Amino acid sequence: MKNTNVELAQFLAHSIELESEARDRYQELADSMAQHNNPQAAQFFRRMAEEGNQHLAEVALLTEGMTLPVLNAWEFSWPGAEPPETTSYEALHYRMSLRDAMGLALENERAAEGYYRQFADSSEDPETARTAEGFAEEELSHAAELQRMLQSLPKNSAHSREEDDDPHMPE
Amino acid sequence: MTDSAKLKARDYKSAVKPIWCPGCGHFSVFNAITKAMAALAIDKDDTVMVSGIGCSSRLPAYVDSYGFHGVHGRGLAVGQGLKVARPDLTVLVMGGDGDGFSIGGNHFIHACRRNVNLTYIAMDNEVYGMTKGQASPTTPIDWDHSTLTPHGPGVRPFKPAALALAAGAPWIARAYSGNPNQMAQLIAAAVEFPGFSFLHVMSQCITFCPEQTDWKKIVHERAEPALSDADQAAKLFLHEDGFETGLLYSEQRASWPPAAVETPSDGAMDALAASFRVSTGVTRQ
Amino acid sequence: MHTRPLSIAITGAGGAGVISCGELLLQGWARQGGLGLLRKAYGPQIRGGEAAALLKLTGSERYTAATQYDLIVALDWDNFSRFEDEIQLGPDSWVLCEPGANIPVSVAAANPRLLQLDMAELTATAHPDGRVNMVVLGILGTLLGVPTDSLCELAGKKLRGKPQSYRDAALACIEHASKTALECHLQVPACDSTALCYLSGNQAVGLGALEAGVRFVAAYPITPASDVLEWMAGGLERVGGKLVQAEDELAAINMTIGAAFGGVPALTATSGPGLALMTESIGLAVASETPVTVINVMRGGPSTGIPTKSEQSDLNIALYGLHGDAPHLVFAALDIADCVFTTSWAVQLAQHLQTAAIVLSDQFIGQSTAVISEPRRCRMQLAATASADPEEIASDSYQRYLPTDSGVSSLAIPGETNRRYTADGLEHNALGTPSASQSDHLQQLDKRQRKLSDFDFGGDWAEIAGSGELALICFGSCSAAINEAADLLRERDIATRSISLRLLAPLQVADLSHALAGCEQVIVVEQNHGAQLLHYLQGHINFQQAVHSYAMPGPVPLDPANIAQRALELMNHDR
Repeated sequence: MKNTNVELAQFLAHSIELESEARDRYQELADSMAQHNNPQAAQFFRRMAEEGNQHLAEVALLTEGMTLPVLNAWEFSWPGAEPPETTSYEALHYRMSLRDAMGLALENERAAEGYYRQFADSSEDPETARTAEGFAEEELSHAAELQRMLQSLPKNSAHSREEDDDPHMPE
Repeated sequence: MTDSAKLKARDYKSAVKPIWCPGCGHFSVFNAITKAMAALAIDKDDTVMVSGIGCSSRLPAYVDSYGFHGVHGRGLAVGQGLKVARPDLTVLVMGGDGDGFSIGGNHFIHACRRNVNLTYIAMDNEVYGMTKGQASPTTPIDWDHSTLTPHGPGVRPFKPAALALAAGAPWIARAYSGNPNQMAQLIAAAVEFPGFSFLHVMSQCITFCPEQTDWKKIVHERAEPALSDADQAAKLFLHEDGFETGLLYSEQRASWPPAAVETPSDGAMDALAASFRVSTGVTRQ
Repeated sequence: MHTRPLSIAITGAGGAGVISCGELLLQGWARQGGLGLLRKAYGPQIRGGEAAALLKLTGSERYTAATQYDLIVALDWDNFSRFEDEIQLGPDSWVLCEPGANIPVSVAAANPRLLQLDMAELTATAHPDGRVNMVVLGILGTLLGVPTDSLCELAGKKLRGKPQSYRDAALACIEHASKTALECHLQVPACDSTALCYLSGNQAVGLGALEAGVRFVAAYPITPASDVLEWMAGGLERVGGKLVQAEDELAAINMTIGAAFGGVPALTATSGPGLALMTESIGLAVASETPVTVINVMRGGPSTGIPTKSEQSDLNIALYGLHGDAPHLVFAALDIADCVFTTSWAVQLAQHLQTAAIVLSDQFIGQSTAVISEPRRCRMQLAATASADPEEIASDSYQRYLPTDSGVSSLAIPGETNRRYTADGLEHNALGTPSASQSDHLQQLDKRQRKLSDFDFGGDWAEIAGSGELALICFGSCSAAINEAADLLRERDIATRSISLRLLAPLQVADLSHALAGCEQVIVVEQNHGAQLLHYLQGHINFQQAVHSYAMPGPVPLDPANIAQRALELMNHDR
């Protein structure tokens, strides 16, 4: 039974929250895009959600045998209002292109990398710093992958978000 | 009662997926509600979400609890009737600025006054979204994007927090859809508050008010603790910019109705019927 | 067994206290085993206006309003003209008033028998602080054979909140005046009933509601329904229920719906203008299948109308006032006693069928007080709706709106496990998820219709009396009038049957057609201007007989003699 490294536990708790929020958010966005008949974006977000699931499982493995602090959503400390890898709801558009969706994911990966890097640099606990560094590297590689995929995508057409029809009144 | 193991926020979501426009602020409110429920370990079976009509009123169907989707503007009346009849339930009423401050204005005023122990979440996007973008009581005076009021409403908007205070609401807070975690904390506090709690959420409408994405630049979090003096709160609410987030006002006031003092006796119903019976002595003078 | 009723009108103004006098007299009469009805008429003032206590002492419990008064006791003649339409007299009528009073032209024209008594002096003699109304009570008590000590006891109870000296004065007046014998020959009905009750229709509605299990009421005051709500406020507290005073009728109906959604039988009461406001949300109750009961105590319409007078002009809005296809229950109480039964029936059926029930009462029965025998109760034995097994179903698959054979689905109450659902005014599928599909809409419309139209309501849909080739049909409180008219017609050898509808929606077409079998003429009698019941029935029933209308709006109650006269003309014309 290993002694709980408090700083590591705090870090891993944040990491789990980060990954799980990211995964849940991608899932919501996928559902929303599917609802709005944007299959490209929907599929992409769903894939990101699945990958998020994997990351979450990997992190969970690391926490075996540890007691993690149980925090409410608002008790975590993040650089901004929400965890770094979580896409803001307001960043979406129902006619967003795959390029747009990927662009958001890329921003997420970079933000996550920045977050982990900062943790790695500032942590006084070597194990925490090492773990954070590892996560940062992984985020970097995800970002690189996304960057590569983006390059092979066509640019957005000038008025891709325009629609001829007026908004509809459901009720 | 559901399983007592603590549920996650996502466990409070039903199978029905939201139809809100991507970019809508209400996703944040939904997110925050489920996080608050998870934090409080609220029993799904003992919770009812009540709403009126509008985009924000669609929310109850998305939560895995009991729900009541009523008619335009009347959510607070339904919620208060429900809570008074079933004080054991946790009741959240929600709706938009049109639903709550226009057609529902009278019910809003009296709900603040009555102080029944429930939580009211008003999702304010300063527009009637569902009916395609008309001005609402909180729309800025010069917003001219509606064909119904092409020169702008020309009438000053309400200040919902000031109205709530004047009508007697003992707990007033504000949140912003760009910060669902802060909102979750406020919702949890609102539910726990033993009285009428009013959460005014600035929740952007991406379709009819895309300019509201600029709200993020002017939203600011309250640094001081909540006011408990009504005079100071009046001053704050009448003069503020309407974008300060956090718990703004909180006072101690006994909620209504007070708990029943006596349990009814078994024979109470019979006694009522008997009260109409005449004691006859059939003797003529 | 026709005891001729004795009708007495007591009038006065400026705080004379005639209503109290009438109430105490009827209460004393009831204690003796006497039957009777008390109606009240007022001017528009809140206090100090002209008032009339209109008593009808009878030998039976069939309570029509008096059409001619045997005795008028006028404490004064101030603004008596307000009551001219209502208080009619003939040459056999007696008038008791002060000597030297200016008797109104309309009264003098009837040439009644005059009794002039210095009641003011009698009062002064009895007690310096005495009031004439208590002197009148004493005089009338003696006239009717009601013991003085009984009246004193009742008066003492009524005035218990007043200063002792005021009470003493009142009792002194009753005592002193009771020794005065009026030189007046009136036929007083027998007093031989036992086990009596004394209550108004509005109180009876409240009693029926509580007995049926109502434990939540939302209240917004409106004439003439406020008494229902006020009585229920006290009653609910005693039985552990709750009453909320709402800010308007829109809040009242929605609070009622909220409580009902929470599983607590709930009710509200209003009159025409309030019902009009509530219609949108009553439709919500129908669409979401939330059980609610709405009492509508009808008054003169349209719009603000005549708030203090009775009419039957809200039939249309009760039947048709909900937008969309929204089948629901509509009942009409037939008399004061029947308010207990019909309200209770309505509440139980609203609960069982998960729908909205509107109960039509009116100002006449609502605000009149009657002496009745123990009212009939409604205790239904309803088969419990089959519940889905909570163990078997996960929350997302509870089918709250499952179309069953009966049309009634299981009804989950918040707090129950694995039956979470969102009730909706939007059209929905069996799960309750909003749906715009044709098949879902048709399925739910059929279900909501079927649960009412296929239900067996039994024999209480109407009260039917007599037989013959002429039928008088009415709804609600016209029942007593058509039954009295039927008696008058039978005296003229015209065999008449009366059908008083208690259940108006769903209309029991087969039963009504059967009840009319063998009839040749039908007269539809109603107290409104537009012949609302006539048109409703004509829309649903293939009448085999000639159908005629007797439609007379308020404010004056229907006169059985006029109804009979109309029928006579009809039958003679045919002969």
